[in-house]
Amino acid sequence: MAATLCGKLLTKPGWLPLTQCGRVRHMSKSVTRHRRPMHIIKQKLLAVTEYIPPRRVAAGAYPSQDKKVEESGLVLILKKEVEKVFEDCKMIAVLQNNGSNSEDMLTLRHRLHKHGLIVKFFPNEVIRTFLKDSQYCNMAPLFIGHTVLIVSKQGKVKEMLSTLRGSPQMVLLGACIDGTLLSAQGVQHYAKLPSVTTVQGELVSGLTMLTSRTASMLQHHPAHLSALLRQYVRQQEAPAAEPGAKAGEVEGAVA
Amino acid sequence: MKILCAGIKTYDIPPDYSGMVLPDKPKLKFLNKVPNLKKAKKEKKKLRDIQGPAQAANTFTAGNYAIVAMGGGYIHWGHIEMIRLTINRKMDARSTFAKWRINAPYKPITRKGLGQRMGGGKGAIDHYVTPVRCGRLVVEVGGRVELGEVEPILTEVAKKLPFPAKVVSRESLAAMQAEQEEKELNNQNRWTFREVARGNMLGIRKVLSPFDLHNHGRFTGKFHLPGRV
Repeated sequence: MAATLCGKLLTKPGWLPLTQCGRVRHMSKSVTRHRRPMHIIKQKLLAVTEYIPPRRVAAGAYPSQDKKVEESGLVLILKKEVEKVFEDCKMIAVLQNNGSNSEDMLTLRHRLHKHGLIVKFFPNEVIRTFLKDSQYCNMAPLFIGHTVLIVSKQGKVKEMLSTLRGSPQMVLLGACIDGTLLSAQGVQHYAKLPSVTTVQGELVSGLTMLTSRTASMLQHHPAHLSALLRQYVRQQEAPAAEPGAKAGEVEGAVA
Repeated sequence: MKILCAGIKTYDIPPDYSGMVLPDKPKLKFLNKVPNLKKAKKEKKKLRDIQGPAQAANTFTAGNYAIVAMGGGYIHWGHIEMIRLTINRKMDARSTFAKWRINAPYKPITRKGLGQRMGGGKGAIDHYVTPVRCGRLVVEVGGRVELGEVEPILTEVAKKLPFPAKVVSRESLAAMQAEQEEKELNNQNRWTFREVARGNMLGIRKVLSPFDLHNHGRFTGKFHLPGRV
C-alpha cells in the first residue's frame, strides 16, 4: 500500500519525494483528544526556535534594574570592603581568571605579596552595584565573568606585570591607577615610564644647571668678563655682514 | 485629631451608545439539531476542519464582545443549546443583543449501533457537529453594555465548551493580534521556525507536516501552542 502510494506521489512533479514518503499514513491518526506524540527532531526544532523577548534595557554593562532585591548582610559587608579598597588603593588592576587552580593562585598570591600586592575576590554583582554610583562607573564593563582584583597602596605596576608574566592563566583587562582608567596596553606603557622621583630629579637638575652655570661664569676672573663684553660691543658696532660667524665666535667664547 | 476632607469625585464619562441600534430579535436564534437535507450523506472524518487557525469569522461584525476559540474542536448541538439558553436567560434583551458566529451543526458523525459486530461497512449517521478552528468567534454580544456586565455570562459559557475558549472584546482581540505581530517582529531568536522549515535545514521537512509550513509550528493538530511566533 505504502509502496503504491509512494509511487503515485513520486510521479507528481514539484513534490518532494523525501517529505512525501515520510508523510504516508501507516496507521490511523484520528485521535483528536490528546496531542499526538511529536517527532523528537520536531521537538528539538520547537525548542530551538522559541520566542526570545527583546531586552528592555539597552545593551550595556548593567543588568536590568527592574527588580528590587533586598541586600543580604554579606553583600553589605562586601560592598563596604569594596568601597574601602577603592578609597585606599592607588592601583586597582582587573584581571580575568581563566581557570587557574588553587595551587597556581597560591603561588601567584605569594609572589605578589612579596611586593605588597594583594589579590582580592569580589562578586561582580557587588562591584557593579558599587561602581554604578561611584566615580569609577566607567570600569563596569571590565567586570564580566571570572574577575580578580589586584590592589596595592603604592602603584607597583612594574612588579605586578613581571609577576603576572609567570602566570598565563591571568589576563590583565585594565587598571585604575591614580584615578586614571588604563587599558592593558596602557598599563604596560605606564610601567615603562621612569618613576616620579627620577623625573623630578631630572627636572631639578636641569633647572639648577642653568643657575649654576651663570654663577660659575660670574665667578670667573673679571678680566675675562670684561674681554667678553668688549667683544660683544665690538660685534654690535660692526656692520652685520657676517652675523653667523660672529655668533659662532661669541658662542665659542662663552663655552 | 480628626481630619475632615472634602473633595469632588470625577467619574469616567460613560460610553456613548447613541448610534447603537439593536436588531429586532436580540436573542440567540434556535439552531437546528439536524440539517434539512434531502439525502444525508456520510462523510469522512476530515479532521482538517479543526486544524490550524480559523479563516472565517475571526473578526467582529456587529457586537463588541465575544467568545473566541483558543483551540480547535467540534461543537455539538448540546453545546449550542447550552450557550443559547444561558445567554438568552441571563442577558438583558432591552440593552443587549447576541449573535451566532457559528453555523448550525452540519458535519455528520457516524456511529455503529450498540452491540454490533465490527465490519459491515460504515455506521449510520448518529449526530451532527459544527467544526470550530482556533481563533473563531462563537457568539458575539453587543448593545448598550460594557464588558463587565456580560463577561460573567460569557465566561460561564466559555468554560463549558469542548475547546479552550475565552472572552474578548474588540480591543482585547486587536491587542492580542498586535502583541502577536509585535512578537514576530521583535523576536530576538535568529532561528525562526519559518526560516528553518522553508529552508529545509538539515532535511527537517522529513519530520514536518506541510501544515507546519503555513502555521510555523504554532499548531499541532487542533491544539494551539501559545507563546510561539
